[in-house]
Amino acid sequence: MTDAEIIDRLKADLGGKIVELTHPAPRRLFLKAAPGDLLAVTGTLRDKYGVVFLSTITGVDKGETFEIIYHFSTPEQDFNLRTELPRARPHVESISSLIPGAVLYERELQDMFGIVVDHIPDARRLVLSDDWPEGQYPLRKDWKHERPVEVIPGGES
Amino acid sequence: MLKKLARWSRIKSPWILHLNSGACNACDIEIVAALTPRFDVERFGILLKATPRHADVLVASGPVTRQMRDRIIRIYEQTPDPKFVIAVGACAMSGCVYRGAYNILGGLDQVIPVNMYVPGCPARPDAIVDGVVKLLGKL
Repeated sequence: MTDAEIIDRLKADLGGKIVELTHPAPRRLFLKAAPGDLLAVTGTLRDKYGVVFLSTITGVDKGETFEIIYHFSTPEQDFNLRTELPRARPHVESISSLIPGAVLYERELQDMFGIVVDHIPDARRLVLSDDWPEGQYPLRKDWKHERPVEVIPGGES
Repeated sequence: MLKKLARWSRIKSPWILHLNSGACNACDIEIVAALTPRFDVERFGILLKATPRHADVLVASGPVTRQMRDRIIRIYEQTPDPKFVIAVGACAMSGCVYRGAYNILGGLDQVIPVNMYVPGCPARPDAIVDGVVKLLGKL
């Protein structure tokens, strides 16, 4: 299926749910959906377009909002599903009921951005260390790292 | 007399433990390369040991990550006295490019005392052997 055919099919299948559909390069499709439609769009992509593999989830801190991009891959196309969450209430629904492998990326999203993934089957911490303080999210742009004071053995020369 | 014997045996058989505290693996490959027959460190009595309880020298690579901090201290405390620590590579010396990252505490000397620094990114096997031998020469 060519890209143009896929775009036509997507518009027919998900017309109302896709806010924006761009096609910046061959075989790369960017879809934008509201956070509430995320599960429906993912389900349609999985059932009708053969999307079974989630490459990764990108998080972008845009100030007032967080943008999450789900990068789905099929052998033919890359489907990139974007959604924007308000910073004041960063809640998103887990897609791991449809794509079980998403749970690892969603856990990392929780660690690094503080985005709460609702109905995640396993909400444990993934990448941050065990003694990491609560409420500190290192990939947020307004997060400031306080470096531990370095002690130079023998003093500075 | 006994002291002399202890010193002699210490110099003749420094058993090492290879400790990785978050390195990128380059220094680890070089440490393993230094243990191959090509460099033949057994002529100095250097043997790789699998547990800190058997080791005299900790050969450590990599910056200290926040998660590894307590574990490094535990390994250091398990090593019987007298013990020595060699920091191999730029990361173990200062943190190198990882310095200042949110999950890095800095070089190895931020956590445990270090006796010898071997610079390099990664350090060459000959430099690592040289570091161990120079440490033995100090005893």
